[in-house]
Amino acid sequence: MEADGVIGRYAIVGAFAASYYVEPTLTAELDILVSFEMEARQRKSGLVTLEPIFSYRKDKGYEEFRKDVVIEGWPVQFIPVADDLDAAALAEAKEANIDDNAGAVRTRVLGAEHLVASCLRIGRAKDFIRITQLLEGNVLDLPLLCTILSRHGLTESWRAFCFRNGISDPCGPY
Amino acid sequence: MIYPDVSDILARKAEARKEIASPSFAEKIAIIEAMRERVAPFKRAREQRLATQEQRLTKQAVRRIGA
Repeated sequence: MEADGVIGRYAIVGAFAASYYVEPTLTAELDILVSFEMEARQRKSGLVTLEPIFSYRKDKGYEEFRKDVVIEGWPVQFIPVADDLDAAALAEAKEANIDDNAGAVRTRVLGAEHLVASCLRIGRAKDFIRITQLLEGNVLDLPLLCTILSRHGLTESWRAFCFRNGISDPCGPY
Repeated sequence: MIYPDVSDILARKAEARKEIASPSFAEKIAIIEAMRERVAPFKRAREQRLATQEQRLTKQAVRRIGA
């Protein structure tokens, strides 16, 4: 879809992205953070439409399930870039290879530190579990994480998360 | 009451988590797919249960409206 110009840059986020770094987690769908080239009139209104994806779905004969596009059996949720954090996370997403018997596929996965920042911003119980998994998995570049949190105004949420979970704050003292 | 020490169980669990975190991305995707297949019957059963529940509530609402 990226090569066909339907979407701009993309990266895997959510449970699949977390599974890249730590133990695999059960999930119902594949979440994709995606940017779109906006036309001038869209830039004015700020509205992003997923129409190109749904047109592409129809052309390719992919099914739709609860507003997700089902690609090769997986409901895929396309999440448009919604703020500076998303934009930075997408720009700095890591290149990843999926090598199996069917051959190699190159893709992009959100960096672990941006994944933590994103989970913190969303703030559901399962997002906090994901942060804990990434912390316990020792996969985080902590100085980088602290910089990202500070840059995107998430320091207070992070301090509260650390306090609630009895974690010694690696970004402190402030 | 004396409780048993479960620290070795927790340590083994942490070790197991570390082990399943080490395969390649492709292998992990295969694990996720396998997990999805394993829970599919439970998911179907839950959806059926919810549909039945919804049907029951709709019936109740219709009955109330009619009463």
